[in-house]
Amino acid sequence: MNKKNPLLRNNGVQTFITSIICIILGLIVGFAALWIINADGAGQAILGVIKNFFNKPTSATRLQYFGQTLVKTAPLLLCSLSVLFAYKVGLFNIGVAGQYCLGVMMAIYSGYVWKLPWWACLLLGIIAGAASGALCGLLKAYFNVNVVISGIMLNWISLYGTNLLLQAAKEKTGKDTVRLLSKAKQAVLPSLGLDKLFGDKYVTIAIPLAIIMAVLIWILLDKTKLGFELKATGNNVNAAKYCGMKENRNIILTMVIGGGLAAMGGALYYLSDYTQWNVNASSVPGMGFNGIAAAFLGGLNPLGAIFSSYFITHITDGGAYVDLSHYCAQIADLISAVIIYLCGFVLFFKTLINNRLRKAEERFTAKERDAVKAAEVKSEGGNQK
Amino acid sequence: MILLLQYTLIFASVLLLVALGGCVSEHSGVINLGLEGIMVMGALGGALVMKFLPYDGGAGFGMFICVLLAAMLIGVLYSSLLAVACINLKADQTIVGTALNMLATALATVFVKSMNTAMNPNDHSSEIFYGKAKEAFVSKLGNFELNWFMIVAVILLVIVYVMLYKTKFGLRLRACGEHPQAAASVGISVFKMRWAGVLLSGLLGGVGGITYITAGASTWKFENGVAGFGFLALAVMIFGAWHPFKIAGAALLFGLFRALGNVYGAFDFLKSMNIPSAIYNMLPYIVCLIVLTFTSKNSKAPKAEGIPYDKGMR
Amino acid sequence: MENYAIEMLNITKRFPGIIANDNITLQLRKGEIHALLGENGAGKSTLMSVLFGLYQPEEGVIKKDGKVVKINDPNDANRLGIGMVHQHFKLVECFSVLDNIILGVEPNTAGFLQKKEAREKVVALSEKYGLQVDPDAVIEDITVGMQQRTEILKMLYRENEILIFDEPTAVLTPQEIEELMQIMKGLAKEGKSILFISHKLNEIMEVADRCTVLRKGKYIGTVEIAGTTKEELSRMMVGRDVEFVVPKDPAKPTDVVLDVQGITVASKSHKHKNAVNNVSFQVRKGEIVCIAGIDGNGQTELVYGISGLEPLKGGRIEFLGQDITKMPIRKRSTMGMSHIPEDRHKHGLVLDYTLENNIVLQRYFEPEFTNAAGFLRKDNIRKYAERLIDEYDVRSGQGPITPARAMSGGNQQKAIIAREIDKDPKLLIAVQPTRGLDVGAIEFIHKQIVKHRDAGNAVLLVSLELEEVMSLSDRILVMYEGEIVGELDPKKTTVEEMGLYMAGAKRQ
Repeated sequence: MNKKNPLLRNNGVQTFITSIICIILGLIVGFAALWIINADGAGQAILGVIKNFFNKPTSATRLQYFGQTLVKTAPLLLCSLSVLFAYKVGLFNIGVAGQYCLGVMMAIYSGYVWKLPWWACLLLGIIAGAASGALCGLLKAYFNVNVVISGIMLNWISLYGTNLLLQAAKEKTGKDTVRLLSKAKQAVLPSLGLDKLFGDKYVTIAIPLAIIMAVLIWILLDKTKLGFELKATGNNVNAAKYCGMKENRNIILTMVIGGGLAAMGGALYYLSDYTQWNVNASSVPGMGFNGIAAAFLGGLNPLGAIFSSYFITHITDGGAYVDLSHYCAQIADLISAVIIYLCGFVLFFKTLINNRLRKAEERFTAKERDAVKAAEVKSEGGNQK
Repeated sequence: MILLLQYTLIFASVLLLVALGGCVSEHSGVINLGLEGIMVMGALGGALVMKFLPYDGGAGFGMFICVLLAAMLIGVLYSSLLAVACINLKADQTIVGTALNMLATALATVFVKSMNTAMNPNDHSSEIFYGKAKEAFVSKLGNFELNWFMIVAVILLVIVYVMLYKTKFGLRLRACGEHPQAAASVGISVFKMRWAGVLLSGLLGGVGGITYITAGASTWKFENGVAGFGFLALAVMIFGAWHPFKIAGAALLFGLFRALGNVYGAFDFLKSMNIPSAIYNMLPYIVCLIVLTFTSKNSKAPKAEGIPYDKGMR
Repeated sequence: MENYAIEMLNITKRFPGIIANDNITLQLRKGEIHALLGENGAGKSTLMSVLFGLYQPEEGVIKKDGKVVKINDPNDANRLGIGMVHQHFKLVECFSVLDNIILGVEPNTAGFLQKKEAREKVVALSEKYGLQVDPDAVIEDITVGMQQRTEILKMLYRENEILIFDEPTAVLTPQEIEELMQIMKGLAKEGKSILFISHKLNEIMEVADRCTVLRKGKYIGTVEIAGTTKEELSRMMVGRDVEFVVPKDPAKPTDVVLDVQGITVASKSHKHKNAVNNVSFQVRKGEIVCIAGIDGNGQTELVYGISGLEPLKGGRIEFLGQDITKMPIRKRSTMGMSHIPEDRHKHGLVLDYTLENNIVLQRYFEPEFTNAAGFLRKDNIRKYAERLIDEYDVRSGQGPITPARAMSGGNQQKAIIAREIDKDPKLLIAVQPTRGLDVGAIEFIHKQIVKHRDAGNAVLLVSLELEEVMSLSDRILVMYEGEIVGELDPKKTTVEEMGLYMAGAKRQ
């Protein structure tokens, strides 16, 4: 009798519902902002953001732009995997942005300067990010340095480091790095026909690789002994130590994997040659922070992250379709920021749902109890007679 | 040399103000990771006043007060988003702080861009020019440019110290950060004290934000945020062991390293070493990491910080 | 009409699934010491939470001086002059004694603290009632007894008339307890009304005028102490004659299992002091050795040292003839050491894990639960958990998949005990294994421990409860300030003698 609304009780369902609530509220706030700026075009602008590539006239171009959205989804997915993996182990990896930079740095450098093949570039990129993660983990494990602050510091150090090293891969004029497709073709990721499928040369194996990583992370966390240990360390580091887990090793290992994932994102993105690195960049790439949004929106589930990463990329891309004579593309950033803010309340939303359920249940049992009482009173009365 | 001193002092002022904000908030029991965002919003408020308030040059006390108040007000308002989430709704303080940092940059960018576009349809930049208005609160003492916000920082340092350690309010605030159940048991409203802590940190963070952008140029591009200064300030606070005067010392140290990045060109021996500017840019962050490595082990952090207060818990 | 300071009449408070207070009446006379007696879970805490406005009762009223009052929060209670010394002190550790006393009622001019007058008042109060404290000492540096006096001064400073002491003696030495009893009597003589919550019969007999007994949320009765006996109170408390002795045969100790040789463990709170100082002892197969002592005399750190949670500063430990001084925790565990930790939430459980995952916490890596490729064998985990849940009668809402957080304290403890004993350890270290449990559960756990001994294993028990020490152990080692000050035979010693050792008044 207590199993009313079993669907609502399911944790996954609750996560899904709260994520949808976050998205809707985020879009409402975005719409409100647009409306305040200029009420007339606001409806069309928010639709433009939501529609993204559906704004394109032909199905071929739609497919091509869908492909491009996917190209940008892959690095975001890896960044969000990095965040959620660390979070499961109780660490807030805000250093994704820096690890991502290092992935970009090593990938481009080894591709252009050392002329290494794509897989070696990818591997070196991952190693660079993993090393940065390891540093963060070491500082946490042995010196108790707050990972959030060390992460932010490493972000800036990595950004300037990347700018410095990539001077060597800069085009002669301008401030961007060279296009790998023309200058270092061996470093560009293969596409295994995906480019033809989408009609876009930037669509590469980065996309399936990212999805495979999501599945692997899910298996690692949910099915293996290592996942069991890592999550235990995250939930209660004292208990982990008590039952003989190597808690410091687990913290460092987590940051290594997290750093590697974020760096893999950066490396994959730049090795598909979709974009160039600006060596005068003075702000940390937003990809890392969007990764945080995607991780929480996806309910901290690796498979959920696939969808949330896509959604965030979709609206960020969609930002380009607003009417620039009134609005600006950053409206999409605003929406994602609002979504993360709301994701902070996930626990609150869930408690709300559960309280509702419990109250309903209590009312139900109270009624039943009253019924039993009434029956008892009746029978007592009967006995007295 | 004077230039180095000037930059050191101005950056130290920024770090001091923001670190004091973090300190007040943490003493009440809330970790304010949104200081970076609060700085951006405070800077936005101040910059708008500088842009739109009529001003004819010379020392402008009225202008200065308006800029200061605007930065404080916006900082306080924005920090209430953190307060409501972390105190009343018991949200994760890390996520909310991070979200507020992202939101501030996005919000300021959208706002400034749409304002610029509305005034000139071809202007899509996120910059605010306030060149002349800045002169209102910069006094020249020989070659040294005294930014009035340096004085504000010193005054606020003393005020925060007295407030925390000499008043009834400070005693109660610190009790909430150390042992909220104890505070509640003697009739102190933990929620109210924590709200006060967070709003005060918003006020200080807002002033820190406007100080930061007036440190250098006569224009500010809001897409750039404040380059991790909010987090540097948190590191300063940790290094300063949550104590106002020690924080001031730490702020001077970090200010010096940050200033080196701006003025190393003026020193011949530094210039002759031919170190790329990126290295100087990295310097404060590297120093911060090293300092944290050696100071984090014996943390003097308030015991209950970061833990949402729940009436039911005893 | 009787002159009552405070009355709680027919209080009923329900929580989902249980009635915590069922029609309870408690009347406190002016100037009396009134004991509130009941086991853990009898409803004492709930009743006090109602008095302090933390819970609103479904039925019943509270009267002050004969008038009905409404108490919505602790402030209302404070305003009515009700003060409480909590079991876990509500003191800010990095504040001074004075700051803690004035917190919430600070004397001030325009918001600035005026500590001078406060200090004078505190000094005067402490002289009047014989409560020795240094107003400028910082709480974390002073003894537990002084902290408690600070709490009492907090109430007196506020001029509270109704003073509630919630199990105040649990953390004190016998001598400090004696002092407290005198202080309480003095306070009552000055006209304060005192409610003394306890489950220690000797103390109630000594100090109280009357006693109200609760059992399982129900009101059992109120009796005059002068006209009752310990035995009667005990019967009222547990509903039957208590058997203080666990049935067990004399121990037949054989080979040495654990050999602790002069170990020293650093203190966490004091930089220059050692928590454990040059301690040596042995535990043999087939015996239960008990470490007795007041809380905080190094027992915790001693166990940390033996189990490997804290590194040793000096000394050597041998386990089954092997030097384990530097051995990792996991290795000690697989060699046959089990540890029922003192703090089940800090060490014993991963609260966000399910019950089944907590049950395999010490064995998940064994081939039975993890295959060669590193994947968990979830069906084996389920089967194993179901067996232990059944054997040890661990109750929970959803069986093996219940989150540990959602379980009651007693069942959490049973799960830990099942996990540690089922490992069939050569040495079982049990730290306060029955803390916070009801009588039935305690009996069950005691039987398990004796059974484990009889199977030829060694048991090292750490307990603060003298009854438990006396009834369960074969050999008693008393710890005082990080050292073992005496070895006693439970059959030959008395609680009083043990108390002298525990308080440092006597040593061998």
